[in-house]
Amino acid sequence: MLTLKLQIIVAVTIISALCIIINMIRRKSLELRYALSWLTAGIGILILDLFPDLIKTIADIMGIDTPANMLFFLGFCFSLGLTFVLTIAISRMSVRMKKIAQELALSQKELEALKSENTKKEI
Amino acid sequence: MQKGYPRKLIIIPAFNEEANIEKTVKDIEENAPGFDYIIINDCSTDKTRMICTQNNYNVIHLPVNLGIGGAVQTGYIYGYRNGYDLAVQVDGDGQHDPAFLRKMADYMDRSQADMVIGSRFIDKKGFQSSGIRRIGIRYFTILIRLLTGQTITDPTSGLRMVRQGVMKQFAEDYPKDYPEPESVVTVLRSGKKIIEIPVVMRARNGGNSSISMNKSAYYMIKVTLAMLIARIRDNSGKENLC
Repeated sequence: MLTLKLQIIVAVTIISALCIIINMIRRKSLELRYALSWLTAGIGILILDLFPDLIKTIADIMGIDTPANMLFFLGFCFSLGLTFVLTIAISRMSVRMKKIAQELALSQKELEALKSENTKKEI
Repeated sequence: MQKGYPRKLIIIPAFNEEANIEKTVKDIEENAPGFDYIIINDCSTDKTRMICTQNNYNVIHLPVNLGIGGAVQTGYIYGYRNGYDLAVQVDGDGQHDPAFLRKMADYMDRSQADMVIGSRFIDKKGFQSSGIRRIGIRYFTILIRLLTGQTITDPTSGLRMVRQGVMKQFAEDYPKDYPEPESVVTVLRSGKKIIEIPVVMRARNGGNSSISMNKSAYYMIKVTLAMLIARIRDNSGKENLC
């Protein structure tokens, strides 16, 4: 099913992608927390690529006739799950961002009031 | 600041209101004696900030644009922390006539209500909004009646006066966008009393309504869902952050 050529192309792509991700984590431009699912996905694909028989076995277990369909299905589920997790993360961030912005603005206001009180005292 | 009198705060959310903000503040100073005010500048991109600073207005500048809900909520937090007894929202676009504020405060005192809404649709005078919007407002009235059993003729009115209890509630949790109908349901659900009094509203002086025509479908669906969720929500579920 998988030609050796394709196997090598996939493996090289995945390994370079993994390298880029790890390098980004190292440079702190990507948080490990959020990169973890990508790393797992990459390693998963790599395993399936190196042992193509696994794909057929899993498809048999899941009761899916065409192994390719199973790959599409699993990929779809993974993307869906990932977007959902991201939506949750965004919601939480926006609540926090709002709170921080409000507190910052209120503190700024208090600070200015204190400052003008002080200058009045000095005069 | 007089002692013994209830301390009253006017919250003016302002996003790009350079054309109206001076008029609004002057109007308040002339027609609403006894009220303090706070402008919440929601990170305006026009000269709103400059005008406020030049005139030495009492203003809070938000560092990022939070939208109407987040801006008004900042005002409620400010009011609650500074010990105000009641707070009222007056939009910065000149739609609300500050002359009604004293009447609303008096009415609040006499009726023991927790929230007084200025309604355009009791006396049916003044600016009545366009026909299609009135249908939308009527729909919200019916939905609120179904959800809470109470009739609010103008659930989208921004002219709303609240007591300290509701101020605290809003300081802790307030919808992000299109907050009015949803927060009415939340307040009613927490067992508080809302009363409406007739007011006359003016057409906007300038700027744009936050609800444009092509956003109205989204608006109706979003607010409907938000109201249904407000109905089934656990009231103790606050924005727990710290």
